[in-house]
Amino acid sequence: MKAKCPAIVSVGRTSFGEHYEVEPENLVWEAGLTAAEAANIERRSLEACYFADYFLPITNKIGLEEGFLSELLELNVPMEITRSFSSALSNACNAVQAGKYDIVLVGGMEKMTDRWDKIRDDLMLLEDPWSYYAGCTPEANHELMLRAYIKRFGISGEKLDIFNLALAEFAVKSHSNAMKNEYAQFHKEISADTVIKARVKTGRPLGLFDFAPISDGASALILTNSETAESFTDKPVYILGYSLATDYITFPSRSDLTGFAATKLAMNEALRSARVELDDISILELYDQSTMMGIVSLEDLGFCERGKAWSDIHKSFKESEDFLELNGRSLFVNMNGGLKADGNPLGATGGAEIFEIFQQLRKKAGARQVQADGELKYGCVHEMEGFGTKAYTCILGLE
Amino acid sequence: MSSEPIERRVAYIGDRLRGSRCTLCGKEYFKPRNHCGACGRKSYGMTEPIDFFYEEGTLEVCTYVKNPTNRFTKLGPYVYGIISFHNEEVRFPGRITDFAIADDLKIDLNSLEGRKVVPRFRRRHAVDSSGIVPTISLAFSFADGYYPFQEYRIVQPSKQYDKPGIVAYGAYSSKFRIKEGTIERSVPFIDEDSITAAVEAGKMALIHSGVDPISVAKVYVGSESNPYAVKPIASKVAQVLKLGEECQGEGVQCVDAVDTEFACKAATSMFKDAASLVYYPDLKGSYSMVIGTDNSQSAPRGEPGGELDLFVGYGSCAFMFGMHDVIAQFEGWSSITSDTPDFWRRDTQPYPSHGGRFTGEPAYFKHVTKAVQKLTSQLKLEPRDVDYFVAHQPNAVFPTRVAKALGFKEEQFLPGLQVAKFGNTYSGCSPIGLAAILDVAKPNERILVASYGSGAGSDAYSFITTNQLLDKRSRQKFTITYQAENKNISYVDYATYRRFKRGMRAD
Repeated sequence: MKAKCPAIVSVGRTSFGEHYEVEPENLVWEAGLTAAEAANIERRSLEACYFADYFLPITNKIGLEEGFLSELLELNVPMEITRSFSSALSNACNAVQAGKYDIVLVGGMEKMTDRWDKIRDDLMLLEDPWSYYAGCTPEANHELMLRAYIKRFGISGEKLDIFNLALAEFAVKSHSNAMKNEYAQFHKEISADTVIKARVKTGRPLGLFDFAPISDGASALILTNSETAESFTDKPVYILGYSLATDYITFPSRSDLTGFAATKLAMNEALRSARVELDDISILELYDQSTMMGIVSLEDLGFCERGKAWSDIHKSFKESEDFLELNGRSLFVNMNGGLKADGNPLGATGGAEIFEIFQQLRKKAGARQVQADGELKYGCVHEMEGFGTKAYTCILGLE
Repeated sequence: MSSEPIERRVAYIGDRLRGSRCTLCGKEYFKPRNHCGACGRKSYGMTEPIDFFYEEGTLEVCTYVKNPTNRFTKLGPYVYGIISFHNEEVRFPGRITDFAIADDLKIDLNSLEGRKVVPRFRRRHAVDSSGIVPTISLAFSFADGYYPFQEYRIVQPSKQYDKPGIVAYGAYSSKFRIKEGTIERSVPFIDEDSITAAVEAGKMALIHSGVDPISVAKVYVGSESNPYAVKPIASKVAQVLKLGEECQGEGVQCVDAVDTEFACKAATSMFKDAASLVYYPDLKGSYSMVIGTDNSQSAPRGEPGGELDLFVGYGSCAFMFGMHDVIAQFEGWSSITSDTPDFWRRDTQPYPSHGGRFTGEPAYFKHVTKAVQKLTSQLKLEPRDVDYFVAHQPNAVFPTRVAKALGFKEEQFLPGLQVAKFGNTYSGCSPIGLAAILDVAKPNERILVASYGSGAGSDAYSFITTNQLLDKRSRQKFTITYQAENKNISYVDYATYRRFKRGMRAD
């Protein structure tokens, strides 16, 4: 299965959070250097670089990111900028599979705290301009999805209390997982009560602890073709299947307000091309900009039935257990703390998700290493751009 | 939005809620497009323009925005949600406006979802005072609230008159009021200004008229509180209300539009011009529209000129003139002008100055009296020949005194005295008085209107109502009484009144 699949031979990342003194290109250079060191790859061996940042041209007024990186890395190879790490990786995979390059660097970076005071206008305008014009905030679409969801699935009364608790438990789990992640933005246990109190305080369906933060950070990996992979590491992680799909920019105009159609399409295609069954996936990194987005995405990816993810999560929520019981199968979810607690520097987020799966599959995740009954067979990475306007999925495995 | 072309495109679509319908399968879209996604290539060029400006929608789901993004901060907190039209076939994002939320208020989203809403033309968000004023109709208010849903149905005219007259009218005042003593004054919501009120009044007049907006030849907008020193309100009114023929694909309306200024008589001055225009033989079958609109300005209390702060209101009134289906015929007019500097506002100054006690005599009383006397002598009228008399109303004392001095009795002038309900709406002031009378008058009654504009001048008009006044009354839900005695009115305190009046400025 791994034959002809692009292989990740090493990964690197910075911590997520605030990097007040550091330029964005220096962050990705640091992550890239870590990855290159790990695989003992000379800078000059890189044939091309695929970088990602969601909106540095807006937050940092940096337009030609490639030029900054060429200058810093002293490299004149082809470089391309995309908006998300998964997008950069997808392009890199296409090039490696086509035989164009054998060794490439994939990196992602973001510097959101530099513009923390204006970032919500910029984020919302990019994410969904017509909703922005009507007064939408980056949080409001998540809350509208929640409202549409509970109406469609008739969740009210006592069930609604459990639903709200399940969302809180999801955030609690993320924070708990991040305690063992040295790179995570938050190292702080929270309780379900804290999550719920923050909602009550503002009178909104979701509160401060339901949302991922804004972050600075970078991540990187070295991608090679399957033939050369084993010359850099004894355990390459292969990208068995990857896909992406798109959806309307205007969220209210989409036909289904209770899920992300792009995720479903991307996941089906990724599984098909990887020839992997959903049941064989044992670890997942989920794109949870909010607890609601996380829960709905579990359904979109096929791990839970429609309208049931919240009750699955609530039933299997035990702080002593690492995994969730979803629709009868166990799944390790967001072991790094997810976007919620690890942090969400947009362009770098997908790289941190891959970083986690890479370490876990190779059993190098240290204190976070999951203890599965059987073999950790396959991992899945899920990332989005905007509010489900683009969705990426990627299936990773050791063979 | 710092780019003029982007601002133009967003406003062009958003102000009118423009969309498209596929002529092959009937699918509807928000935002115009020239092909249908469902039908594919064969539908290229087969879509027709539609819009949702006069439609009623449903608030499907909503949330409470406690902390808006920077540009929307001055609006907040507010309720934001998804609005659906035509049985959920089309959905847009929308902000609920006219819904002032106190800090400690608990919002029950369940009680709001599923309710009917009406699109409202409003300011979009704050900008610096040097920027283009961004507008949008992705603002909605509840149809069971202050502002009712009214169907706009085009009706073929049934009768032609030999002289022009008023064909329809529409008045608009906001849901918010400040009440001090016995006087209530209309206060704009923070996203309202003289532009938004002009569009609302024009919309009401069109609904009342049943006239196809394509046959409007010219619109005049009189105001002294245009947010722009240079850029007409009338162009916005013409574009949003689609007055005159629309050149498809080019985004222009074949109509003349102009702003006029003469303090509080900027609009009434144009009544005769608007009526004369439709009397012109080449314009047979055309209509003209005159709108008086003001977010009446005043310095805060305690500052020079702050005496006005006790009286200023907010509102707009629109009149349509034509030769068909006339509800009040022109009988005569006279105008008076002198160069009397009783009230003025210099360029770049935010608030007007005035001449204190001279604003009454020789300014207001001399001009109004002269204009009315000239008109009554021309038409050989005695006070008893007049059914209703309306004078400009900067306060309740002036119009009462002038009416009595001219020999009118309370039953003649009280129905038109509306200043205690809405405040002095400047250019919209005497027109709102006239609208209040048209709301209640019977056929074949004579109405005398005398405006006053500082600077100074007065226009006096005589109108005689027709039988068709009653025929159209059912199309006028948003009457002056409806607005004055509405149970959904929200009363605000002085600080909120000043904040709302100032509006959404980013600087």
